[in-house]
Amino acid sequence: MEEKRSNSAGGVGGMVLCALIGFVGALVVGWVIFPKLLYSEKTQPIRFSHTVHAQLGIDCEQCHHLGPDGRFAGLPTTESCAECHGEETGETTANGKEIDKFVKDYVKTGVQVPWLVYQYQPDNVFFSHAAHRGFECTKCHLDVAKMDTPPAYYENRLSGYSKNTMKMWECERCHASMGTSNACYVCHK
Amino acid sequence: MGLDRRAFLGLVAGGAVGTMFTPIPWKFIDDASIWTQNWSWIPRVPKGQIDYVGTSSKLCPACEGLKIMRVAGNPVSAGGNPDHPLSRGGVSALARSEVYMLYSPARIKSPMKRSGKTFAPITWEQALIEMAEKLGAAKGSVAAISGDGTGTVNEVLSALVGKLGSAGCFMMPTEATSAAKGIKLMGGQGQAGYDFENADAVLVLGADLFETWGTSTRNRKAFGATRPAGAKPASTYIYVGPTRNNTASVCDQWIPAGAADFGIVALGIAWHLLKAGATSNAPGFDTFKAVVNGGFGPEDVKRATGIAPDVLAGIAKTLASAKAPLVVTGSPFGQGLGAAPFIAGMSLNMLLGRINKPGGVYMLPELAAVVPGAMSRAALLDGDLPAFLKGVEAGKTPAPKALLVYDANPAYGLPESATMAKALEKIPFKVSFSSFMDETAALCDLVLPNSLPLERYDDVATPYGSGFCIYSLVRPIQKPIHDTKTTGDVLLALARKLSIELKFDNFQQVLKEKVAGLAKASGGFVAKDVMPWQVAAGKPAPALVGGDLWKALETGFAWTMVGQVAQTGMGFASEVVAKAVKAGKAPAVAATLAPYSQLRTGTPATGIPCQDLTTVPDTELVGDTTFVRLNSETAKALGLKKGQTVKLSAAGVDCQAKVHIFESVMTGMVSAPLGFGHTAFDYFSQGKGANYLSLMTVAEEPGSGMSMWIASEVKIA
Repeated sequence: MEEKRSNSAGGVGGMVLCALIGFVGALVVGWVIFPKLLYSEKTQPIRFSHTVHAQLGIDCEQCHHLGPDGRFAGLPTTESCAECHGEETGETTANGKEIDKFVKDYVKTGVQVPWLVYQYQPDNVFFSHAAHRGFECTKCHLDVAKMDTPPAYYENRLSGYSKNTMKMWECERCHASMGTSNACYVCHK
Repeated sequence: MGLDRRAFLGLVAGGAVGTMFTPIPWKFIDDASIWTQNWSWIPRVPKGQIDYVGTSSKLCPACEGLKIMRVAGNPVSAGGNPDHPLSRGGVSALARSEVYMLYSPARIKSPMKRSGKTFAPITWEQALIEMAEKLGAAKGSVAAISGDGTGTVNEVLSALVGKLGSAGCFMMPTEATSAAKGIKLMGGQGQAGYDFENADAVLVLGADLFETWGTSTRNRKAFGATRPAGAKPASTYIYVGPTRNNTASVCDQWIPAGAADFGIVALGIAWHLLKAGATSNAPGFDTFKAVVNGGFGPEDVKRATGIAPDVLAGIAKTLASAKAPLVVTGSPFGQGLGAAPFIAGMSLNMLLGRINKPGGVYMLPELAAVVPGAMSRAALLDGDLPAFLKGVEAGKTPAPKALLVYDANPAYGLPESATMAKALEKIPFKVSFSSFMDETAALCDLVLPNSLPLERYDDVATPYGSGFCIYSLVRPIQKPIHDTKTTGDVLLALARKLSIELKFDNFQQVLKEKVAGLAKASGGFVAKDVMPWQVAAGKPAPALVGGDLWKALETGFAWTMVGQVAQTGMGFASEVVAKAVKAGKAPAVAATLAPYSQLRTGTPATGIPCQDLTTVPDTELVGDTTFVRLNSETAKALGLKKGQTVKLSAAGVDCQAKVHIFESVMTGMVSAPLGFGHTAFDYFSQGKGANYLSLMTVAEEPGSGMSMWIASEVKIA
């Protein structure tokens, strides 16, 4: 009986303490450890410097343009890049070496660079860049023009999508704020 | 302090509560739902830069110019090319399937050699050695069948077979076959071309103009252009045929008439035109007039066809009062017409003065051949393949020792197909150059797969029905998916192995020389800002701008020319008409088979394109059974009911069908869809319904001697 009371008295405090430890532990796991486990970090196959290109006065639309029918052409092809970077530079600078790597691995082999796209939408989403052309690119996209090194790409191990992929609630919130319809068929055809 | 039960429960409870304040449960639920969309068997939308490249359809007999949409360099869909005169942005169900067919399960993936009842893969070198050996031994007795009505590859094939010692070089029978024979018998020169764009009254005798006949996509565009929605039509179209098919349903008038009666109808109209004073300087006019006046008066026609005299007079009046009338005669299912109905229809065009006139019939010159020893298209079309194969089957014609089959499926796509297959079995060495494992390839000893049009260089030269000369390039959009080769290249390599000189090393050289010849032809231009029918109507033809015609053609533009062969001796061939067209009282027949074709069920050489199968309605195919269509009067007379399973018998063949009551079929006719009943190809074609072409009986047409199978009596039980 004595032991039982002792356990009972110390047990409540211990239980609360353990609950607190469990609570805090769960918060640490949920907010710190879980994201690291959920996403794998990947780097782009070529360290493409948007900064260098932006400083040369190249607009986003010069490489990421809309097609004549309003379809977004997406990323430039190896052939487009090769219009300026068709030959190896032989330079020993970091940028020069990276250009040479691109020319050797992709231009000369005729292979498309497997760029990691930060914001591909699922196939069931119809997103039209043409309908959003009035917005600044950075309203939705990372401001890569200020980045000399592409940011790390975090791939969700479960869904396979990039961490930066815009979620539906984000689309809906912007639509609502703009007074644009949030009907299903606007985005899901 | 140890971790007792309460402490543990507290830890768990705290952890559980804490977890609810983290993203873990919400993120898991969200990501798990997305994960379910990513299973490996769910198709992915390809990502990458989108572009469009031009080419021409080769699978579709309408030969539309195509714009192939590519994503990251991979073709994903085919649409019509607005700049191409045979497309104007339109596309058929078959042409649309050009991309999807790249991945058809029926594709032959490598060269194969027969091994017992199956095939074993071999290398291309082994195939060439085997072919050279067998063809070398078969010299003097080598035959060829081509199903390509527009390609320069026929020049290579016919030249090779000619130099090996030809036992016959044949085209699969089409509308072009009847027309070529008709023109030849009339003493004309050139290929009949129909200027629908400038015609204001079109009488269609049988031809399924907007379904499969000739340049069907272009025909639809030309029809639509003169009949804009909401505006007064600038043209009149009258259809005469056994069923109110898609063509008839959009025409101003449908006049029911059996397919065997088109010649009678044409001559009946001629009677009215002659009565109104129509005349001609063409040879044979007087005899023609005597034939028409002697047996094709209104009452004669009524007795033979059931068409009332005032209806016939109305048609004649429409044609006579039009500024640019045009008469088109064809088969409602694209083959078997015979020469006489074509001649009768052309006679109307001659009476109306419509030869080589805007909105009329242009006699188009054939583009110059470039391969030495090649047969002309007219010579190829002159061969009578059904008669040849029937002769071989019956032992009346010696079987060739070797047969080369290119882009053709005679074991399925000919009338009396069982007889034709038996004839093919008598030929000891057969090579198929098909892209798909079709019924004929399955009978062959060697199967050497042709790359599909999106994987090879090829060309399209003035398809039958086009109102102008036209030449388009077919060019590879991607590398061959399987171990296939362009047949033109294989034939040239074979010629080298046999030490036969054909002038060219590869097929692209042949095409480049062809194009170089066109660049020098006077009057030719690249259709871009000015279309050929505008030139026919009087607009000056633009000059062929100096530069690279090949490059323009590769971009998807077409070379075109509005030219015609002046006719010096083209007459009425009234002796043929007099023998073949008789307006006697039609014999009492319980039911006549009236087949119809459609491009959504492909051609004999393609099978049913897999994605087009979903467009076949359940009044045509349910499960594995096809429907035949009868009107309620015919069904009543035959004691048939809706949905009843019946057996159709003719030519010693039985086919199963279900009955569909359809009032758009004339009384006494059994309308049956073609394109079904394959025993080869893949899941999408094999065993789907019956091949009603096998019920059609081949007969020799009096006067022309040509094989015809336009209408056959069929027994239904």
